[in-house]
Amino acid sequence: MRRILSSITDGKGFDLIMVGVTMLFLFALAGVPLVYNVVMSFQQVDMFNLNTFSRPFAGFENYVAIVSQPEFWLVIRNTAIFVFGSIAGQFIFGFALAIFFMLSFPFASTIRGLFLVSWVMPGLVVGALWGWILAGDFGVLNAILRGLGIIDGTMFWKSDPNLSIWAVTIANIWLGLAFNMMLLSVGLAGIPRDLYEAAELDGANGWQRFTTITLPMMRSTIGAVLALGLIYTLQQFDLFPAITEGGPANSSNVAQYWAWQWSFQLFDFAKGATVSMMMLIFVLVASIVYVRSTRHEVRG
Amino acid sequence: MSAQPQIELVGIDKHYGSFHALKNIDLVIPKGQFVALVGPSGCGKSTLLRSIAGLESITGGTMKIAGAVMNGVPPRKRDVAMVFQSYALYPHMTVEQNLTYSLRLKRVPRAEAKKAADEVAKTIGLQQLMHRYPRELSGGQRQRVAMGRAIIRNPKAFLFDEPLSNLDAALRVHMRKEIRALHDRLGATSVYVTHDQIEAMTMADHVVVMRDGVIEQQGSPLELYDTPATRFVAGFIGSPAMNFIPGTIAADGQHVTLEIEGVAALPIGRNLEPGRRVTVGLRPEHIEATPGTSGQIVLPVSVVESTGSLTYLTTDGAPELTVVITGRSDIRSKDTVGLTIAPERVHIFDAETERAL
Repeated sequence: MRRILSSITDGKGFDLIMVGVTMLFLFALAGVPLVYNVVMSFQQVDMFNLNTFSRPFAGFENYVAIVSQPEFWLVIRNTAIFVFGSIAGQFIFGFALAIFFMLSFPFASTIRGLFLVSWVMPGLVVGALWGWILAGDFGVLNAILRGLGIIDGTMFWKSDPNLSIWAVTIANIWLGLAFNMMLLSVGLAGIPRDLYEAAELDGANGWQRFTTITLPMMRSTIGAVLALGLIYTLQQFDLFPAITEGGPANSSNVAQYWAWQWSFQLFDFAKGATVSMMMLIFVLVASIVYVRSTRHEVRG
Repeated sequence: MSAQPQIELVGIDKHYGSFHALKNIDLVIPKGQFVALVGPSGCGKSTLLRSIAGLESITGGTMKIAGAVMNGVPPRKRDVAMVFQSYALYPHMTVEQNLTYSLRLKRVPRAEAKKAADEVAKTIGLQQLMHRYPRELSGGQRQRVAMGRAIIRNPKAFLFDEPLSNLDAALRVHMRKEIRALHDRLGATSVYVTHDQIEAMTMADHVVVMRDGVIEQQGSPLELYDTPATRFVAGFIGSPAMNFIPGTIAADGQHVTLEIEGVAALPIGRNLEPGRRVTVGLRPEHIEATPGTSGQIVLPVSVVESTGSLTYLTTDGAPELTVVITGRSDIRSKDTVGLTIAPERVHIFDAETERAL
């Protein structure tokens, strides 16, 4: 008894407990729901068998049904626009801002800190704000664009099917900008100053220093930022109900919102699970990229 | 070597806000010379080097490299190479890529760049390491790559910023010789910053001692050793450091009365104004010590240390005096010794201005 006790406070038992708690947590809160979701996507689920686990096996029926939905390809296209538009926008503007704030000017780090406000705000609030900014008749974005002479008429960002997905993408770029900027700032700060000085003496101009020193030295950070960006963008949900509700006519609907609609508006949980399973594959690829890129840290 | 100077600094001033980092620096470096900038940390030697490189802007004065005015010219257009204390190797490039970086920027054809890299690698013994990354190299090897990266450019001047301070003592002594040999072989012009006076003395043709942003004295290493212009230079150059004793010039003007026990007056071999307050400097290696009480200064010994080839004596009393004896000595701790010093070896500095008299 004493030996078991001492092993728990200081020995193998302690190690096992530490690992065990984590494993239990992961299993209960990530493993079980994930497996449950996989199983459900291969079952027939309706309101009557929702509370049991043994439901009729459906094979790939749910998958076939999802793919043959008339809006399936539209949702895929929208998801692609949303994901790549958001990541590209967040990354490019985030990188530009990160580099800008590396310059030493008064209050540089204070102002950089203020950018985090956008990241701290709840998605629904950001959605509401952008809902007003993007409003067709009284929105401030239209007023600015008209004032600058870029557009003549009124852009109906939220109700024009050609624009609605972009409306949400713009809001999401703003929302994720600060996160990208912060991670990239950390990466930039990790590059020793004397590398730039050595490169400058070796004859590199500003652009050459950026492409031959900054970018390669930032490789792992950039990989991590892009992979996390993909994951966060596929998770982004709040903006859709707040701005467009996926409409009009699914023109701004994306996979994650669609999955929610299947499960919690149409109560077809099997199809909701099926859509999220399809997304899981993309997230898995992103996770592998993330893990690999953080493993290949190159620091001199 | 009377040709046009390779680097010419006239009246260089540098302010960081209200801090005056470099004060009216004049320095002429002929082509082919090895110049060491030496001084305690914060004396401005690194700032001066970085100003020559163009990494720091100067506030006033004229800076010329190979006859062309360089004020305001960006570093990449100055054609000087620098070896950093941290080496600053590009961690994401192999040794070969590190060496050819400057050539690749200049769009030198690949084959030509590789040939140049191979040649440099042969000069400094890196052939086996061309495909390694900096993290896979030892300190000495990194040092060599940093040198190679400078050599391959065939620059107008080499700038070294304490390049050996990250190496262990044995390697440092070795690299000292190697850098100097390389300098001679390439016929290069080098400016070398160090806080180690031994490095400066052994490597350089011309040593510049700096303090608080001012050039305290410049000259050949032995000039600085034999005739230091100020008490600071006298104390900085030479190891172990010179002994300093406060004193007053005696009534005859040819002796100095030292404020130390065990001495009446020391002949100084020159004629100075009687009653003048001075500081007397005696190099440990110029003092002769004999056991007993015959000598100009008679003092008890407190510590005897021997390295085998040299014996160091430290005397009792204030100020302590250090004496170096070549070879072994019979003198033991607590013995009394008589110290003798030739008048021409006595350095005398004004107590106020600290300038040599």
